[in-house]
Amino acid sequence: MTAQMDPQHAQYVAAQVADARVNVELETEGMTLNIGPQHPATHGTLRIIVRLDGEQVTEVDPVLGYMHRGYEKLAEVRTYPQVTTLINRIDWVGSFANEVPFVLASEQLMDIEAPERAQYIRTILFELGRIANIVLFLGDMGVQLGAVTPMFYALRDRELILNQIESATGGRFHPNFNRIGGVKDDLPAGWLQDTKSAIAKIMSFCDQAEGLIVGNEIFQERTRGVGVIPADVALTYGLTGANVRASGVDWDLRRDSESPLPYDKVDWKVWTHPDGDSFARYWVRLQEVRESCRIVDQLLDSLPSGPIMAKVPRIIKVPAGEAYVATENPLGEMGYYVVSKGGLEPFRVKIRTASFSNMSITPWLLKGAYMPDVVTILASLYFILGDLDR
Amino acid sequence: MAILPGVIKGLGITFKELTKTMVKGAETVQYPHEKEDPAPRARGVIALHEDNCTSCMLCARECPDWCIYIEGHKELAPPRRAGGKPRSVNKLDRFDIDYSLCMYCGICVEVCPFEALFWSPEYEYSEPKIADLLHDKSRLGQWMETVPEFEPYEAGTEVKLKKVPR
Repeated sequence: MTAQMDPQHAQYVAAQVADARVNVELETEGMTLNIGPQHPATHGTLRIIVRLDGEQVTEVDPVLGYMHRGYEKLAEVRTYPQVTTLINRIDWVGSFANEVPFVLASEQLMDIEAPERAQYIRTILFELGRIANIVLFLGDMGVQLGAVTPMFYALRDRELILNQIESATGGRFHPNFNRIGGVKDDLPAGWLQDTKSAIAKIMSFCDQAEGLIVGNEIFQERTRGVGVIPADVALTYGLTGANVRASGVDWDLRRDSESPLPYDKVDWKVWTHPDGDSFARYWVRLQEVRESCRIVDQLLDSLPSGPIMAKVPRIIKVPAGEAYVATENPLGEMGYYVVSKGGLEPFRVKIRTASFSNMSITPWLLKGAYMPDVVTILASLYFILGDLDR
Repeated sequence: MAILPGVIKGLGITFKELTKTMVKGAETVQYPHEKEDPAPRARGVIALHEDNCTSCMLCARECPDWCIYIEGHKELAPPRRAGGKPRSVNKLDRFDIDYSLCMYCGICVEVCPFEALFWSPEYEYSEPKIADLLHDKSRLGQWMETVPEFEPYEAGTEVKLKKVPR
């Protein structure tokens, strides 16, 4: 290097040095941001620790357990009929669906099959619970993106479904209607007709949601290509329900598992979407509500007459054995592994909830996402906090 | 994306809903002034028909969170027929339900073999003090007036319709 430097070159070097100094000053160390545990947008408590580089997420750590109520342990000191009151409260938005797999597992252990009419009533209410659950999602997804109106439409029409559940079972959120060997009571007169009109209202709500949200360009911009889950990753993380169907995996336990529920007697379709992004998850759930409406409509027409309870001893003692029964709940696969030692109470109940497994993908999924998309992606995965922590 | 046909279509939907609300009125009611009727089966509060209760303790035992408290004693009643032995009757001293613990599951109503417990859709019994949610047997007896008749069933049923004792 010569001592004498070309002045133009010297200027260039000086500019480079100044630039480097500014870059060192601007180099941020990253920021840790806590989302939750208390947040008005979540109906429950979930904490997500997000490590940010600028606006981009580098690391995500979901912290669960703020709402752990210990239902698996509580179930060990309750008799079988008492357990159904507890497990109602796992997924409180579509709570009828929680009872069904447990009751089916207990019936399998006792080798009882509920009569046909009871199975039909069960399935109708199961699907109504699914509608009540997913319609809330259809409105709530709009709220996460700043569209408040669909939420009010969703709550208005969901109320009709809740009224139907209440007038049949007595409880809006906690029906406790399933019994081992059947259902608690028969349907009141006029219920079939009222349900049909409620279903028609939900169908028109689906059209409204399609026009208000799915067709909206702003919604599409915010969700298309955001939070993409490829099919193989979805299967590796154990995703179930609409989340895995939105990744193009044609898998639905209502169709693919053997159960006494009369899903094989009605004409319906499992919808999938090839994209795997937030938009696909919304779209698949919207179609699912329509299919549920179709299932309920057909089952109401073909409700058989007959008894609603099988012959069951007054004091229920379940013979020793183990059974695992899973059904397709609104949020995904929900299964109960019931171990009985022949007593009045289950020896052990392991509950597999869909939200818990769906949540496990978030560290993988949110890495590299931008902060405003985090809320959208989490909302599109759709978990209920009670289902997450149980 | 200068023109947003989807957004305009969405605005059309909200406008249609707006006109519907203006013409037909709101879907909600102004609660303390207007009230909605809950379904007759709604589980609001448990009513006790004291004459039917034999203090057999089945409800207290089956309750999942053990919020029913029963005490009773035996009494000798005059015989049914002249010259017979005096009967021993169970008398109810205390029948309390703690509604601050109750889960409203309905198991007690279902297991009662003598039809002494009934659901009433009444829901307005909130209290400023939590201890006042413990309803004793006279308060539970007063709820009996609000118990509706059982609804008839849908066609094709084999369940017999029960009657509410008055």
